[in-house]
Amino acid sequence: MSEPDRSTLHAPRSTPFDERLLLAERTDQEINQAVLQPMIQTGRGFWALVTVLGAIVAWGLYAWGYLVYWGIGVTGKNRPVYWTLFITTFVFWVGISHAGTMISAVLRIFKADWRRPITRGAEAMTAFALMMAGLYPLIHLGRVWKFYWMIPYPNNRLMWPNFQSPLMWDLVAIFTYLIGSTLYLYLALIPDMAMARDHTAGWRYRLYRALALGWRGTEAEWHKLHRALGIFSVAIIPIFLSVHSIVSWDFAVTIQPRWHSTIFAPYFVIGAVYSGLAALASILVIVRRGMRLQEFLRAEHFDALGKLVLVAGMAWTYFWFSGFIVEWYGNEPVVRELIRQEVAGNLAPLFYLQMSANLTPIGLLVFKRVRTTPALLLAATLLVNVGMYTERALIVIGSLQRNHLPFNWGLYRPTWVEVSIVAMTFAGFTLLYTLFSRIIPFVPVWEIKEGRLRYTLRRIGRLLVPTAAEIE
Amino acid sequence: MSDTLTLMALFHGGTDTAEAIDALHALGIPDEKMVVITGVPYPEGALGRHREWLTLPYIVLAGAAGGLLFGLFLSAITPHLYRLDVGGHPPVGFPPTAIIIFVFTMMATIVSTFLGVLWEMNFPRFGPAPYHRLVTDGHLAVLLEYPAELEASVRQTLEARHAHHVGEPERVAL
Repeated sequence: MSEPDRSTLHAPRSTPFDERLLLAERTDQEINQAVLQPMIQTGRGFWALVTVLGAIVAWGLYAWGYLVYWGIGVTGKNRPVYWTLFITTFVFWVGISHAGTMISAVLRIFKADWRRPITRGAEAMTAFALMMAGLYPLIHLGRVWKFYWMIPYPNNRLMWPNFQSPLMWDLVAIFTYLIGSTLYLYLALIPDMAMARDHTAGWRYRLYRALALGWRGTEAEWHKLHRALGIFSVAIIPIFLSVHSIVSWDFAVTIQPRWHSTIFAPYFVIGAVYSGLAALASILVIVRRGMRLQEFLRAEHFDALGKLVLVAGMAWTYFWFSGFIVEWYGNEPVVRELIRQEVAGNLAPLFYLQMSANLTPIGLLVFKRVRTTPALLLAATLLVNVGMYTERALIVIGSLQRNHLPFNWGLYRPTWVEVSIVAMTFAGFTLLYTLFSRIIPFVPVWEIKEGRLRYTLRRIGRLLVPTAAEIE
Repeated sequence: MSDTLTLMALFHGGTDTAEAIDALHALGIPDEKMVVITGVPYPEGALGRHREWLTLPYIVLAGAAGGLLFGLFLSAITPHLYRLDVGGHPPVGFPPTAIIIFVFTMMATIVSTFLGVLWEMNFPRFGPAPYHRLVTDGHLAVLLEYPAELEASVRQTLEARHAHHVGEPERVAL
């Protein structure tokens, strides 16, 4: 393949591809520095943010310790609402984790070139969201030290954990996804660790050297890395589909009204994709500004991501309506009562918040101006996640308030312990992500350089048109 | 004095590198005596080199088979090791078994891919190795081993293709 002809890259500033040209004119050395400098230079704002987030995490840990000491009774759990904010937030975090695979694996397979600058941010989001999700089954246990009962080895009576139970499906599925997404993140990181190793000193050099594993960049190493990433991309897609399906089956295999539904698995998956993509867009807007990555994360990336959020939102709406119409038409007494609670009862504020927060962004994201204006995109995608969190709360908490035994109906109010622990995981996720962005190159440098190698501008009449070579 | 010499040369672009490799082939230096080091993955064939055969797919398949068997053991065998009959249910049901087998198969596939590629690349490998830090700044390095009598023609060939930093490779602690 011939290298890009630099003489063709100097287009007038008014062409639609100005932003692409910025990066095309950079040398590899300049790209390295543009990524490494914001990692190394941290201002007061960064440390202030870390301090605030650390304080929230510390408070949440205190609340968790309080729960462990006094028992699960310090939460608002009751009969019949035995799954509360913990499981709501667990489902939310599992959902958030789905965008990493969606962006990285699916778009890698389809060779979508615009994925390149955002893959690492997406993969990191997956790993950290799963870490937060993984805390909730432990917190929800109350007696957290009994966790080892789920590890697959027999007890002193040779009795094994019950793998016919959804609890075990959940454990192995989330553990598998966490392992898979972390290894996937790390594997694609190795060449950039070598780049960082070659350009840093002190503790950073020692860290990057250890993480680079001795990478040099020989043809054989690149070939093997590409092959492994290809296998990962294919293998992780069924895992990502299975994880949220299995989470949905935690609910659907019960006979609880509104949970016992065959549509739950695809409905959960599409909801996860919707909220995950929206969360990714929100994070990218914030990181882009915080780390001055405007040159890498450009309008064309946000435009494409915004379109994906839009499509996922429309698909979510379709699945929600498909489930709702069957329930409404079935007119089962308890389901009818739950729908009445949502439309005009005590769940109405949450229901209308859910619908407006999920549907309004779909209307907004139709407009290119919203997709390509960071502040507007941030507002629209944050709204999506308000809606998706509310949706999870309605499914988990709302549904449990009514069941087949009317004498057993009840209400739920969260306590300070639950709110503190939920806040801890939101702060913990943000803290991990903030620290990650200062330690690990947020933009996959080698993938960007690879894209630049494959990409050139070709003049067709009055236009400069981007073209990419179709090569492996 | 050794019969063979080792040399590293850096290039600015892929075209010069590919031409230099072709010229080195013409001098009688085989592919296996050359290593090309780049900061960017070049497409297959771009530098005029052959790709080596990989065992990775077989490692992955073996890992997947191992995961499947482990999942089968956990979901279908362990319930019989301490049998508890509950309400007329069979001790092992197909749907939960399918879920567990699927998940463990995929877990083993992922883990074996990761371990397999590290094994294929002989990682981790932290000792000193021939390398140049300019590689990650966009330069392409060609490391070659050749008979001592070709010294002059090899250098002439490389310099004719705009090679720089031509000389004995520095062994960098990686």
